[in-house]
Amino acid sequence: MQRAIEQRGIPTVSITVALDVTEHIKPPRAVFVPFMMGHHFGVPFHKQLQRRIILEALDFLTTAQKSGEVKMLPFKWAEARREAIEIERKYGLRIDQSLTKL
Amino acid sequence: MDEFDENKSKQLRPGLWATVNERYPGSMITKSDFVPLAKLKKPLPESRLTFVSTAGVQPKNSLPFDTVHPVGDYTFRRVPSKSKPEDLEIHQLKYPTVGAERDLNVIFPIERLQELAEEKIIGSLSPNFFSFIGYNMNPEMLEEKLAKDIAEAVEAEGSDVALLAPA
Repeated sequence: MQRAIEQRGIPTVSITVALDVTEHIKPPRAVFVPFMMGHHFGVPFHKQLQRRIILEALDFLTTAQKSGEVKMLPFKWAEARREAIEIERKYGLRIDQSLTKL
Repeated sequence: MDEFDENKSKQLRPGLWATVNERYPGSMITKSDFVPLAKLKKPLPESRLTFVSTAGVQPKNSLPFDTVHPVGDYTFRRVPSKSKPEDLEIHQLKYPTVGAERDLNVIFPIERLQELAEEKIIGSLSPNFFSFIGYNMNPEMLEEKLAKDIAEAVEAEGSDVALLAPA
């Protein structure tokens, strides 16, 4: 998919949570976050984290040197989860029990 | 190869490619070549961005993705980039939606992209974003039909850059 778009001359970047799949497919540019599947942009209500992941990915559009390069982003899932719980407490949102157990 | 192994250990579910391919032989794509990098035509604050997702996100009342078809669904949906999360719903079975059910932005960050466009960090958003489901067992169909259809649509909307989130 990503390769087909890039071949039309449109620069692309993807966000991946599955490094081995990415290494097989060899997309032109990808950034990796060590997050749970289905949570590429982090955790619920954590706007700053979601935004930072997008900006890091977009930044890689200009900084990637060669096709197939995967950049490891400096995020941690455990930290994201902790911050999510703090945000939910702060704003009085219902705390998702499954989130505290993950 | 040390670096490769070290990277691999950083993911939460290593060996995904192998386990999926074991269950559905031949379904996973392996490429040996690299696509040449396209150059940015203009800086990001002047560029039109599109977003492509495999998360099965679609506007409410659009034809639901066929999540139980044995070979997969090779269609895509256009998601207006002005949509609100409450206008959208998810049809897919292959990734945990525990986060997305509470805040769609964790897999389809439509509000964050709208904010970045308003702040002119991104020039503009394409009128539509593009969405399909990741359960597609025929890699040739995926490449020959779906990937081409979406690439064509992305180009037709005048996109300068594309952000992708393969769920």
